[in-house]
Amino acid sequence: MAEDNLLSDDLLRQLMNVGEVDLLVGISSHSNMSSVSPACDGIERIFQQHFVRQRAVIVNVRSGETNEGVVAAENPGKFAENRLAGVASLRTVQRVRADFPVPPTPATALRTILTAADLLRARACAVVSPETANLSPDWIANLLAPVYRNKFDFVAPLYKRHKFQGLLTRNLLYPMSRAVFGCKIRELYVDEWGFSGRLAALCGNKDVWHEEAIQSRPEAWMALSAIFSDFRCCQTFLGQKVQSATSSGADLVEVFRQTVGNLFWCMESQQSAWLDRERSEVVDTVGPEHELTSEPTDLNQHRIFEMFRNGVTELESILISILDPATHAEIKSIVALEEGKFRFRSDLWVRTLYDFAAAYHHAVINRDHLVQALAPLYRGMTFSFLAEHSDSSPAEMEAVSERLCLEFERQKPYFREKWNANVEVKS
Amino acid sequence: MRQSILQGLEQAYNNLVHMIADFLPRFLVMLIIVVLGLLVAFILKYILRAVLRLTKLDRVSEEAGASRILRIANLSSMTVLLTRSIFWVTWLAFILIGLSVLGVAGLQEQISRLLQFLPEVFIGILILFLGLVTANFLSRAALLAAVNAGHPSPRIISWSIRFVVWILAISMTLEELGVARQTVIAAFSIIFGAVMLGLAIAFGLGGQELARKSLERYLGDSKKEKDKEPQPL
Repeated sequence: MAEDNLLSDDLLRQLMNVGEVDLLVGISSHSNMSSVSPACDGIERIFQQHFVRQRAVIVNVRSGETNEGVVAAENPGKFAENRLAGVASLRTVQRVRADFPVPPTPATALRTILTAADLLRARACAVVSPETANLSPDWIANLLAPVYRNKFDFVAPLYKRHKFQGLLTRNLLYPMSRAVFGCKIRELYVDEWGFSGRLAALCGNKDVWHEEAIQSRPEAWMALSAIFSDFRCCQTFLGQKVQSATSSGADLVEVFRQTVGNLFWCMESQQSAWLDRERSEVVDTVGPEHELTSEPTDLNQHRIFEMFRNGVTELESILISILDPATHAEIKSIVALEEGKFRFRSDLWVRTLYDFAAAYHHAVINRDHLVQALAPLYRGMTFSFLAEHSDSSPAEMEAVSERLCLEFERQKPYFREKWNANVEVKS
Repeated sequence: MRQSILQGLEQAYNNLVHMIADFLPRFLVMLIIVVLGLLVAFILKYILRAVLRLTKLDRVSEEAGASRILRIANLSSMTVLLTRSIFWVTWLAFILIGLSVLGVAGLQEQISRLLQFLPEVFIGILILFLGLVTANFLSRAALLAAVNAGHPSPRIISWSIRFVVWILAISMTLEELGVARQTVIAAFSIIFGAVMLGLAIAFGLGGQELARKSLERYLGDSKKEKDKEPQPL
């Protein structure tokens, strides 16, 4: 492993003092120092409750500044003494900190954790986000246990959501990744996940860490590395996720760049592995596969529709170069519909996405621009979904999602044909 | 008298023969140089075409938006354009060298001036081309950003950026070619200044409300705006 350049002398010294471990939890605290202390205390509590006999370590990846959160993370006794009272642990939970002069990217933070896991020969590892406000002891136990006890290599989380939350995952990321990569992992873009030591070694050694596409969200690539290496994958239900108050709000275009851009890049970089895959494989699931809540929301549906309509009109010249002429003509025809009658059919949505992915592959325009051009169309699909499912039950919504997934799988030959097409540059 | 006329004619004939005898070898040399130039130009054209195909220049050009500009201008693909250019430039250079061999008075000076001017023409074309590509890229980026931010007039923003970069590129090209330097600089300053002043006045007077709303949204109320869309992840 290329740890020579990545790990500082101080970090190596700390790791050598720790020795071998059974469990490792990595936490990247550069963007949210204040929530590190409770998160680390929580992790320690989990080790002492659920893994009494196992050797465990917490790796905290952080940037150089010092504040209360960091001090707390480095001095667990002062903060954790009372909270951990009454818990009998047979092992001391070690804490290791990896300091960076500037905040590391998520990819660098993950690579540091993977390298540490490989050096410490950890058997089961998990990565958690300090931005999750309701990180409960059960979460980390649920992420580590399938790896440690059931020999899984990758554990994806499942969350309880509001029925209109996570629509990008529901309508794009999950069905498309399932159809293309042939694996039914619902959440590829997550903040918490578990993995084995051998997967850490495999991923840490790969020469992709310089790639722009994985700097913000390396987790999907890691999951795909597990899938295409025939490692065992599973999902585990964690519960409802609440972002911390200090967490920065998600800008749709930025989320698109990080997730959809990454998904298209994964298709590009792993094409030899998925092009011949025909069916999607079921993965083991611990707990319920989905849970939805349906409190009232104050979404501005009219604004979403207007942004879709304006986007398609204004970006026509760009969409022409990306979409198949038939797909573009159909989108133009639905844009003309009144708001009340507007529906984005699932077959058209699937064809649109496959056209975008193929255009990304053929690089018909700048790839970052291409991903951004998809955002208005996603808004159209979102509006249609909100209008269609305002009164739907969770079961009905699941049935619709399953039909969308099957539509993606049905149209995969079309995608394969577009992907393999020899695109001639017109002169 | 008759003798003088005959002597004059003989001298003229001798001069003509002498001139032809002097000119013909140089003319033949010129023809050889021109034919050789044609061959060299063809060879360079085919070598360049092979190299450009290997480096997939057309795809890069398509991605950067340059091919679209060429199509709008009814021009061929980037590879064809460059290979044709190298062919004609090489052959033209050989033709000029050949012409200089003829030793025609005054022509050599003109050829020499033309040859000195050629590099500036190429740099000018390069500046113009890069300017067009940059304008296209930046205007598309601005259009996407404005559309996704829900801006009411994304095309105006996009075209403004394209226009400013075009003006800059054209001014730089003319400056490089040395065409009416003072006029170009003055014209550029006036146009650029007028556009900026116009925008400032338009935004300051006509867009007070818009400015207030933008600032409010940017400084204090951005979270509320975002919350109107469902959380994507």
